Amino acid sequence: MSCSLNRAPQVVSGSRFSKLQPRSKDPIHNSVHGKTNLSTNLFMRTAMLVSSMTLAVLFFASTIAAQTDPGVQSGNRGTGAAFSSVQLNSPSGILSFFTDGQTRFQAVESVSGSPTNNNGLGPRFNSNSCSSCHTQPAVGGSGGPSNPEAQFTSNGVAPDNTTPSFITPNGPTLEARFPFFFNSNGTVNTNAPNGGVEDLFTVTGRSDAGSCNLPQPSFATAVQTGNVIFRIPTPTFGVGLIENLDDSTLLNNQVTNLHNNFGIGGSFNRNGNDGTITRFGWKAQNKSLQIFGGEAYNVEMGISNLLFPQDRPLPGEDQQLTGLPSNCLNLSGAGYPEDSSNPAASSNAAVLDDVSAFANFMRTLAPPPPGGVLLNGQPVSSSDISTGASLFSSIGCAVCHNPSPGTTQASNVTSSLSKVSVNAYSDIEVHHMGSGLADNVSQGGAGGDQFRTAPLWGLGQRIFLNHDGRTTNLINAIKNHASHGSEASVVEQNFFNLNSTQQQQILDFLRSL
Amino acid sequence: MNLRLLIPVVFVLSSTAVSQRNQTTTPRNGGDFSTNVSADKVPSGVILVKGAWSSASDTTTAVPEGGTLLHNAYTNDYFGISYEIPGDWTELYKGPPPSDSGRYVLAQLSPSETFKGPSRGIVLITAQDLFFAPEPAVNALDLVKYSRDHLQADYKVEIQPSTAKVADRPFTFFAYWSPVAQLHWYVLATEIRCHAVEIVLSSQDTKLLERQVVALDRMKLPAEASPTLGTGGGEFPFCAKDYATDDHILTRVDPVFSEHRFNPVPVRIIIDKNGAVKHIHFLSAFPDQAKAVTDALRQWKFKPYVRDGKPTEIETGILFGTPLFPAVRKASSSSVE
Repeated sequence: MSCSLNRAPQVVSGSRFSKLQPRSKDPIHNSVHGKTNLSTNLFMRTAMLVSSMTLAVLFFASTIAAQTDPGVQSGNRGTGAAFSSVQLNSPSGILSFFTDGQTRFQAVESVSGSPTNNNGLGPRFNSNSCSSCHTQPAVGGSGGPSNPEAQFTSNGVAPDNTTPSFITPNGPTLEARFPFFFNSNGTVNTNAPNGGVEDLFTVTGRSDAGSCNLPQPSFATAVQTGNVIFRIPTPTFGVGLIENLDDSTLLNNQVTNLHNNFGIGGSFNRNGNDGTITRFGWKAQNKSLQIFGGEAYNVEMGISNLLFPQDRPLPGEDQQLTGLPSNCLNLSGAGYPEDSSNPAASSNAAVLDDVSAFANFMRTLAPPPPGGVLLNGQPVSSSDISTGASLFSSIGCAVCHNPSPGTTQASNVTSSLSKVSVNAYSDIEVHHMGSGLADNVSQGGAGGDQFRTAPLWGLGQRIFLNHDGRTTNLINAIKNHASHGSEASVVEQNFFNLNSTQQQQILDFLRSL
Repeated sequence: MNLRLLIPVVFVLSSTAVSQRNQTTTPRNGGDFSTNVSADKVPSGVILVKGAWSSASDTTTAVPEGGTLLHNAYTNDYFGISYEIPGDWTELYKGPPPSDSGRYVLAQLSPSETFKGPSRGIVLITAQDLFFAPEPAVNALDLVKYSRDHLQADYKVEIQPSTAKVADRPFTFFAYWSPVAQLHWYVLATEIRCHAVEIVLSSQDTKLLERQVVALDRMKLPAEASPTLGTGGGEFPFCAKDYATDDHILTRVDPVFSEHRFNPVPVRIIIDKNGAVKHIHFLSAFPDQAKAVTDALRQWKFKPYVRDGKPTEIETGILFGTPLFPAVRKASSSSVE
């Protein structure tokens, strides 16, 4: 065998390395970066002693207080603002694109008859406004503390509907999917993957919906049989930067991180047409913000648009060739697509279709700024947060939650998107997250247990965590990373193998993001 | 209009609407609808819908990810490894499937509930298929050197890569630590069947790591295990990278991917003494890709591999689909149709 690397430590009898004796035939065993092996060993033993003392101090500290999630940070960090170059209206006109998109993002849609041209809702939908779901801590974010879906059967948005049992007033704002189709005898067919969105509500009973009467999907049975999974809204702050990362940047980052000692792999979801990396949505299934917005407008609000030009039936209605009944089509009366460009409008921004306006708004939303952290009402020191960042990286979290997967390309949109580091805390890859988080929904190349590394910027002000909002506690969210088949089990164990003080520092750091 | 007439008319229209509504909303079965609340539940905690995953052409030939932990003994027939783990250690969670870059998590061991000690730790056993390694490494020693050379700023080297013996077999040993986390990593690497097999021990407690190193001496390893020379033979087929080239292929039929086309599909094959493909192991492939490749490889014919004058089995790797690396990816075509 090769002896080219025989920089073996000299064996000190009884030392912690004595087991790892160099082979007797090794010709060279006395030099490590200019030190003798013995001195190296002694040096390390001294370092170990210091380590042990530190550990003792840390252990003592850890007995004082167990680790606690500092929780949602309420201070105004300035999240939800436009990029600085957009605020300076550079290039000219872009600020009006941002404000117009922001206004449309908050518009409340009707089925028909609205004087403000906000028609086309339904016939199936989850909500009637982008910002009703994307609201925390500012317009464009994730789900808020109060779930609007819990009010729709009583406030006239979905009058003749039943609120599904999993929708609660203070629970997460949810999208539901059935992993599998039901058989005609009502049993779950696990050989027939579904995975499409089952809209929670229909326009049935609304005064602006004519005679359209649609049943809701069988949520009660789906809950009873365990054939339902959930997703919460992904925040959109800073997504313009993610959109502007070149594929090769992401691929080089992947190659750098593939060699790790945490058992982490990872791959990219890809566009089925051109093979390029897709990056938005919980499984990175959407290529661009235009697609992301267009699909959400169609799927979540039932509004057909230039990218998704038809009203969308449920997956089962499509499968069984029934589609939507004719009295539920073209409810706005304006024809399809319900959202299109406005050639007669007087301003540039107003000419755009809603989906383009949404995309402009999201693309020019600045990343959420980090901020200070309050733990039990007391400010956490910046040194603790800084140490937490180092620990986060050291134990392997940063392999996937990469502080910066790269630098953006030159941008033709606005200078704030050009050549800047994307501090997203994500590699944009999809990873196997194991049986504990698996939702058995396949999207593009991502299988039922694979999820995009959730960008952690803005985590400090998020309420609901993991893809389905199953917890509000950061410690539980970390625990949920470990299960059979997860790439993150070793890192999760590394976290819980740290002492309480170190764990707390990581939690504090995360809530500073 | 006479109100007495209007009211019944409105009532009739209204009741017609309600009737239609009731008719439309009658619960259906099938698709997204079910009234069968007593139907069997979907098993929880089971991954039923898989993406690209590992599979093999038969169930009798051992595969790298097929190791088992039973009665505190980890056994991997593919690598010829058996390892009696300490009684108070266990595998809390099985590892993920092999990656499309050829990385396996063979076992991830940690202290059980009965463990008593000041600090816990992890023993992670991985394998990197050297045919598909993203790193410029041809053997386990190279891979460890690569680790050392690309150690991030969070870590400091404790022991440079050096030769050590475990269970009487040569390994490359490398140690590093994180000062801020007080975590130490011991990496022991050897090569078996053209895979870099790495045993990574990590803990804040170096005494614990030492005990684990001692426990490793109870491992059973194949005779070929060596940081640079684990290229098969003996109880295993010989293995060679890039054997599936035109120099050795007599008949070749390329698979056609229709559904999934843009992911790497790393495949290990065993070629029998007559030059036929005897065994196919997909490290990562969608089912449609596995079928297409299987159908194609069944038609391939190689020149028999001759060693010491005798035809013999050989194991090699082929990468179908789209290569992982950017430099190679640029050569692939795309379509806007």
